[in-house]
Amino acid sequence: YGRIPAAPAVRRLLREHELTLDEVPGTGKQGRVLKDDVQRYLDAGGKA
Amino acid sequence: MADKFDVIVIGAGPGGYVAAIRAAQLGLKTACVEKWIGKEEKKVVHGGTCLNVGCIPSKALLEASHKFVEAKHDFDDMGIQAGDVTMDVKKMMARKDKIVKNLTGGISGLFKANGVTAIDGTGKVTGAKQVEVTDLDGKATTYEADNIVIAAGSVPVEIPPTPMTEGLIVDSTGALEFEDVPKRLGVIGAGVIGLELGSVWSRLGSDVTVLEAMDSFLPMVDGAIAKETQKLLKKQGLDIQLGARVTGSEVKGKEVVVKYTDAKGEQELTFDRLIVCVGRKPYTKGVVADGVSVELDERGFIHVDDQCRTSVPSVFAIGDCVRGPMLAHKASEEGIMVADIIAGHKAEMNYDAIPSVIYTFPEVAWVGLTEEDAKAKGIEVKTGSFPFAASGRAMANNATEGQAKIIADAETDRVLGMHIVGQHAGEMIAQGVIALEFGSSAEDLALTCYAHPTMSEAVHEAALAVEGHAIHMANRKKRK
Repeated sequence: YGRIPAAPAVRRLLREHELTLDEVPGTGKQGRVLKDDVQRYLDAGGKA
Repeated sequence: MADKFDVIVIGAGPGGYVAAIRAAQLGLKTACVEKWIGKEEKKVVHGGTCLNVGCIPSKALLEASHKFVEAKHDFDDMGIQAGDVTMDVKKMMARKDKIVKNLTGGISGLFKANGVTAIDGTGKVTGAKQVEVTDLDGKATTYEADNIVIAAGSVPVEIPPTPMTEGLIVDSTGALEFEDVPKRLGVIGAGVIGLELGSVWSRLGSDVTVLEAMDSFLPMVDGAIAKETQKLLKKQGLDIQLGARVTGSEVKGKEVVVKYTDAKGEQELTFDRLIVCVGRKPYTKGVVADGVSVELDERGFIHVDDQCRTSVPSVFAIGDCVRGPMLAHKASEEGIMVADIIAGHKAEMNYDAIPSVIYTFPEVAWVGLTEEDAKAKGIEVKTGSFPFAASGRAMANNATEGQAKIIADAETDRVLGMHIVGQHAGEMIAQGVIALEFGSSAEDLALTCYAHPTMSEAVHEAALAVEGHAIHMANRKKRK
């Protein structure tokens, strides 16, 4: 059933930066990508 | 040539006015064109169908009529002696009109506060970046805009067997304006609108018959929930006839005779008033001038992609005049998405998590897949249900009818759908919407602390029941 299991704000942040969920390491429950994770990834210049 | 705008929105309903406010908030020079003339003063009002003749007025009447029924039939159980309770229909209507006036005026105020230019008149797209507005006096002015958003909405479908007849055969708008309670009321269409309007007048004393052409009741609703809803509405006195196809009608003085066929053959019923609510159709006629290549589909909807872009890149279309459920909140979310896109963001909206609500009593609300949808898609699911009859709060509220049901993916436990029939179902379904948006599992809901005593605990128990671990009822399933 369609969508990636990430919160709406995470999906939006990924979209705005043309990233996919696979690129960002997640620290949430069962490896879920959190908004913090995306922010940290972006702050590090797009490196995991 | 008049002013030039970044965005011109045609229509100030829930799609259009929200798009206009959002666009203005994002710094775009925005205008919103509206032609709707208010009921009392002969001037343009904002808010569209939802505020003027839809969501808001129908809810005002549903609430008033429900309180009347409670006072008449349920107060006694609680020890309240209210005596002979009566309803002043004119006063009920005046209250509704006042709410409508407040809210429509509120939108005009929000336009001013956000710097949206309100243009009164009928808008027409005459070029990829050009809108012609014909004002109330018939004078046409052309405006330039880098982006155009069509939010022209929808109108009730009329059917040939029952032509509108002033004060006798009416559409949903007319049914919100009755000045007295019709003794015998016919409703054509057992959809959301038909059930809500039928409920209002049935509660006030009308003898209501609902004629529905389809054989199944609320086919878009989860089977178990639809079945229980049908039973509850029948118990309230709504005579819902399925598989009844209306073939003709005859106005005889102050009565209307409706002819229809059902499984038993040709039938005839006489009503004092008839409401036709078989559906709504997109209002797109004349909104786009010939020669502008905005494509319509065969049903009259404006053709758009997932981002609500039409076949002309600078023209967007949202709400009831495009594909998708005809719901106010769907239109508004599309409005926000489109304004964001115009402002340069990569916006997207989630069409999988749009809730639906029927404001009968009890309310019916749902989001996501039904058990039948999942089966049709070949998804293996597990389900959990909890009846309000086992809820302490429901008992205290005198609202023990209904149930909450959760559909989860059998493999991943992800919540795929939530379905509720019960008091405040429309409020409770927000939990299901959030669960779907966050991709949460049934276990996530089961591990969440719910306030006691609340109606929402039924959702918690339904989530627990997915694994056969509901606390407050005997579980049918084998526990793991």
